[in-house]
Amino acid sequence: MSFADSPSEYAAASARILRDEPTMRTAVTGAARSKDDRRRAAWSQIDIEAWRDWARDLKSHVLTHLDRYLEEAERRLIENGVRVHWAETAEQACAVVASVAVVHRVRRVVKAKSMLTEEIGLNAHLETHGIEVRETDLGEYIIQLLGEPPSHIVGPSLHRSLDDCRRLFHERFGTPLDAAPEILAATARRVLRDDFLQADLGVSGANFLAADTGTVALIENEGNIRISTSLPRIHVALVGIEKLVPELEDLAGMIQLTARSATGQPIGNYVSLIQGPRRPGEPDGPDEVHVVFVDNGRSALLADEHAWETLRCVRCGACLNICPVYRQTGGHAYGWAYSGPIGAILAPAILGLEESMPLPFASSLCGACAEVCPVRIPIPELLVYWRERAVAADLTPPMERLAMKAYANLAERPAAFGAASDLVRFLPIVKGGRALPVLGSWTGARGAPEPSTERFLRKWEQTYGAAHESSVRGKEEGQ
Amino acid sequence: MNSRNRILGYVRGATGSRRRLAHPGRFDGRYLLDDDRAPWERFAEMFSAAGGEVERFGTEDEAARWLVRFAEGFESATVGATVPSRLRPRVPLACPDLAALGVSVATGAIAETGSLVLDARDGRRSQLLAPTHVVFVREKDIHPTMVYALGRLRRDLPSAVGLHSGPSKSADIGQILVRGVHGPGRIIAAVVAS
Repeated sequence: MSFADSPSEYAAASARILRDEPTMRTAVTGAARSKDDRRRAAWSQIDIEAWRDWARDLKSHVLTHLDRYLEEAERRLIENGVRVHWAETAEQACAVVASVAVVHRVRRVVKAKSMLTEEIGLNAHLETHGIEVRETDLGEYIIQLLGEPPSHIVGPSLHRSLDDCRRLFHERFGTPLDAAPEILAATARRVLRDDFLQADLGVSGANFLAADTGTVALIENEGNIRISTSLPRIHVALVGIEKLVPELEDLAGMIQLTARSATGQPIGNYVSLIQGPRRPGEPDGPDEVHVVFVDNGRSALLADEHAWETLRCVRCGACLNICPVYRQTGGHAYGWAYSGPIGAILAPAILGLEESMPLPFASSLCGACAEVCPVRIPIPELLVYWRERAVAADLTPPMERLAMKAYANLAERPAAFGAASDLVRFLPIVKGGRALPVLGSWTGARGAPEPSTERFLRKWEQTYGAAHESSVRGKEEGQ
Repeated sequence: MNSRNRILGYVRGATGSRRRLAHPGRFDGRYLLDDDRAPWERFAEMFSAAGGEVERFGTEDEAARWLVRFAEGFESATVGATVPSRLRPRVPLACPDLAALGVSVATGAIAETGSLVLDARDGRRSQLLAPTHVVFVREKDIHPTMVYALGRLRRDLPSAVGLHSGPSKSADIGQILVRGVHGPGRIIAAVVAS
C-alpha cells in the first residue's frame, strides 16, 4: 500500500510512490496534463477573466452574507418538503446519515461521487452499522474495489492505467485480460444497475445549492448521480455550508465555469437540479429527501481574516492538474481527501494546522495554481500564510528552526556571513551529498548543489569590474 | 442550543465585522453577443459536439413518421408520461430498466450549453435507464442562455430537473472515453420546428 493515511506521512509516501510505483507517476502526469489542456481550450472560448471576476464576486458575496442565505435555503427546503439537518463535525454528519438509514432499515446505499463524504469518512461509518455502501461513479467504484482513496478531486482513479483496470476486472468479474474499456464499462454498468434497483438510499454531495428555490445542483457525466438521486426511495444530500448561491439563475455561471475548469466541457452531460421529494402526479422519484448542512471547520475558516477566501473553492481540480508537485505523485501522498494545492490550504482548517503538517510546505510556490483558479483563490499566498502560522506555532522541525534563526543572524552581519560562507566553501563535502545536515527536512530528499568556489561579490567584480562594486559600496555607505 | 443555532452563530461571528461584498449581478456569458445564429443552430452544434445526435423536423407529423421508422430497430420502449400519443413508438412497452429505447419530451432546451431540459413530471426512469434515448423538443422552446432558461424554469419547478447535454460517458478507465456507462450511451434530440 503506497497511500498515506495522514498528512504527516507525506514525505515517506511520496518517496514510496516514486520508488515503488513508477507507472503511477506516468498515469497521473499524463491525466493531469490532458485535463489541463482541455481546461485551457475551454477557457479560450469565453471571456474567462470576466467569468472569473464574476464567480469570485458571487462567492465572496455569499460568504459575507452566509447566515442570511443559510436561513433562506433552510426555509425554502422545508417548504419544498425536504428534511434539513445541521452537522457541526464529521462525526455528527455521519451520525445523521446513519440515523436516517437505521430508521428506514436501509440495507444498501448507492453513492454519487462526493468529496464531502470522503472528507467525513461516511462509507466506513455506515459499514459499522452493517450497511452495504456502493460507490457508483465508475472511478470511485474502481478505487472502492481496490480499497484505495481517491487520488484526485474530479478523477478519483486517474492514477490507475487501463491495464490496472483490466487486471482488477479480470480478478473480480472474469473479463479477459485484454478486454476493451467498453467491455469493462459495460460490466460495471450491469453490476451497478442491480445495486441502483435494489438500494433504499442514495447519498450525494452538492456542487451548489440555490437558496431562493432550495435547489441542490449536481454536475456529472455518467448519469449515476441522476440515477442515485432518482431511484432509491430516500435521497440524502450532504452540503458544505459554503456551497450556497443566492439565486437559481446564479447556477448558470457557476455550473458552466466549474465544468470548463474541471473537464474542459461547456457543461457536464448531466446536471441535476433537485427541489425535493417526488410530488403528486410525478411518476417516480424519492419519497424522502434530506439535506445535511455540514460545517466541519468551515465556519472557523470563515472567521480567519486571511484564509476565508479558501471557501470560494468549487472543487474543480484545476489547481491539481497544473501543479508540478501534484503531478509527481498524485493524491495518494497527501494523506487525506483533498490533495494538491487546494488540499494544502483546506487541511489546516478542516484537520487542524498540526495535523496538516507538512502539506502547506508541499509546494514550490510557483504560482501556477493561482493562475488557473476559476474563483481566484490566492493559493500561493495562503500556502505562505499557513507556513508562517506553522513556524509561529513551533510546528516545523526544531533543528530547521534553529538553523533558520542562525542564518537570519548571519545574514544581518556581512563580515560574519562572508566568513561563514568561506567555511562552507572549504569544508570537505561529499559531492551531491547533504551540504547542510542541520536542515534535515530540506536535504533529506534532495542532493545538495556544490558550493561555488568564489564569493558572489568577487565573481561580480571579475565580471563587471571594480567600478560596479565601488558604486554599490558607495550607495550602501551613502544610506 | 442545537447544532443549527450554533453553526449560524459561528457564521455570524465570523462575518460580523467583515466588509459585506455585493452580488455581482446576473451572469452574462458575453461571447453569445457575437453569435447571431438561431438558438436551435447553436443548440445543435453544442449537443453534437458533446456526442449527442440531432434530428430536425418541420412538423410534428414528420417527427412522428421518423420515430416509427427509427423505433423499428428496437425490441421494446419506455415512454415518458407527458409524451403525446402521436409521438409514442409502435413497439412493445417495457419497464424502464428493461426497455431498449426511452422516449421523452423536453420542456425546453438551452442553446448556450446544448442542453435538453427534462422534467420529473415526465418520469425520471424513462429518461435514464434505457441504452438509447430519444427526446422531443419544440424549436420555440430552445432558449438562448442558461440564465434565461433557469428564469423560465423557476415559474414552475418540479421535484427535479435534469439537464441532459449528451450521452452518458466516462474516462475513468485509463483516461479512455467510453459511452453509456450508467445513462443512455446514445441520445437523439428531435427538434420540431412547429
